[in-house]
Amino acid sequence: MNDISLSIHDQEFLVLLGPSGCGKTTTMRMVAGLEEPSMGDIFIGSKKVNDELPKDRDVAMVFQNYGLYPHMSVYENIRYPLKVRKVPKSEHEHLVRKTAVKVELGNLLNRRPRELSGGQRQRVALARAIVRAPTVFLMDEPLSNLDAKLRVNMRAELKHLQHELRITTIYVTHDQIEAMTLADRVAVMDNGIISQLDTPERIYNDPDNLFVAGFIGSPSMNLLEGSMEDGKFLHSGFSVKAGFGSNQDVTLGIRPEDLELTSAENTDCSGRVYSFELTGESTLVTVQLADDRLTIRGPNEYRVAIDETVGIRFNPEKCYLFDSESKQRIRS
Amino acid sequence: MSMSNRSRKKLLDFLQFLVILLAAIIILVPIYWIVSGAFKQQVDIFQLKLLFTPTLDNFKIIFKSPYNLFDKLVNSTLVALSTVMITIPLATLAAYSFSRFRMKAEKVMFVTILATQFVPAVVIVLPFFILFRDIGILDTRLALVLVNLSLIMPFAIWMIKGFIDGIPLDTEEAALVDGSGRIQVVLNVVIPMALPGVITAGIFCFILAWNEFLFALIITTNKAVTLPVGLSLFHAEEGVLWHLISAAGIMIMLPMFVLATLIQKHFVQGMTMGAVR
Repeated sequence: MNDISLSIHDQEFLVLLGPSGCGKTTTMRMVAGLEEPSMGDIFIGSKKVNDELPKDRDVAMVFQNYGLYPHMSVYENIRYPLKVRKVPKSEHEHLVRKTAVKVELGNLLNRRPRELSGGQRQRVALARAIVRAPTVFLMDEPLSNLDAKLRVNMRAELKHLQHELRITTIYVTHDQIEAMTLADRVAVMDNGIISQLDTPERIYNDPDNLFVAGFIGSPSMNLLEGSMEDGKFLHSGFSVKAGFGSNQDVTLGIRPEDLELTSAENTDCSGRVYSFELTGESTLVTVQLADDRLTIRGPNEYRVAIDETVGIRFNPEKCYLFDSESKQRIRS
Repeated sequence: MSMSNRSRKKLLDFLQFLVILLAAIIILVPIYWIVSGAFKQQVDIFQLKLLFTPTLDNFKIIFKSPYNLFDKLVNSTLVALSTVMITIPLATLAAYSFSRFRMKAEKVMFVTILATQFVPAVVIVLPFFILFRDIGILDTRLALVLVNLSLIMPFAIWMIKGFIDGIPLDTEEAALVDGSGRIQVVLNVVIPMALPGVITAGIFCFILAWNEFLFALIITTNKAVTLPVGLSLFHAEEGVLWHLISAAGIMIMLPMFVLATLIQKHFVQGMTMGAVR
């Protein structure tokens, strides 16, 4: 972790997004009190919590592997925070049942965690976190152990739940779809620093640097090395109008959907088709351009054979320019 | 071709059966000898006949004067139980610390604890004897418990640490964030999850303490004599009283059989409990 400074608004859903090993989980664990920062301060509300034990920070956490208590029933699992936080016994039953209904576990309360499916365990972990109203909600890749379909369902439920409970949430994931769909703001992390902190729209449409540009989007943004001259981007194989810029080495970034497939003549550049994939909603065409490959998202009825020559037109409005040296965005 | 393969397999199966049978005989014959001897009259003891009139006289004799085996039974039971009851809680806490906290010189400490197990008992029995004589607790159960603790605690720490290592950290951290302090985590989460392992360790410790012979032989003379040492009482002018030794041997083995059965159950449970992912 390297000089992270991050302030999260009340009731905000903040996602820490980044590849594995970028420090996102460590950041969250420091907030929870499971890890100690070597320097710097952590505040929750106006209270400095550096020296507080996890139990005194009033946070609730959902772990990647759920961290359920295997020797306790679902009911006991959900009740545990109330029990150790000395919530009056008379309220336990009511609170547990209310929470269980909220996450649709009402009829599984007597089961043991090992008798539950992955999705159900995930709900137990969630229920245990929301059974009391914490100040901060921490979620560490909570959906990563679920299968794809369940993940989409749970994502929607999480979003709904957070909207309903209005609790400040920090959510760690390496899945950009989760980040884009859930977050009010996304902090994209790389190698222990925050690369960009912004709304999902701006993270996607207005990346600050090459890392964010390349990390967000699937398939990822096409990145071409070249240089700028009089508003034109010069590549070894072609040149294209890209808005602005003077004499300097740049990396041009353009998303697959901002490239258009055309006939080979009278267009920005052309090349041979390297691969053709049908995704269902659209097609992905990869074209070999000298030493680089460009991926283009085509309409779903588009068909082309491998090795055929196709033309490509760039949308000049959607070209991003980055300084090849500093990796930072060059803005007009 | 397939016929010869099949017959070869049959032959191999048969050989395997023979080897297992041989091993079983080697292990079981002494036990059979003890068990049958315990119910024989002294005159029958060396006769290998399978049919004899069983008698319970031997058991009556060993519990009477001059043997008074009941006293030894009480000593053995109290010493072994006290040892286990002190060892298990302390060893669990120590094992938890070794498993979860990173300390200075932690490796050195752990290896040192294990290394005490490699010192032959016969080397340290004399210092213990002198120590206990000087503080005046020779021939007491307390002395035996102290000796047993020094022998068994390292083993228990090592064994329980293995089980605690297997508990996923997530579960403990969840308990910490849920609002437990460290002691509550140990009581509410770690011990229940490690329970099959802790019970297994407890049973092993009981067996070790129960069977301990060398220290008991040297440190006790009269009041605190345990069952294994008690066996040596059955040397008399008329020779070794094998029928009484057999009967006393059964008294020693009986709790072991019961515990072995328990161990099996908990051991399997300890292995299969695993984590919930």
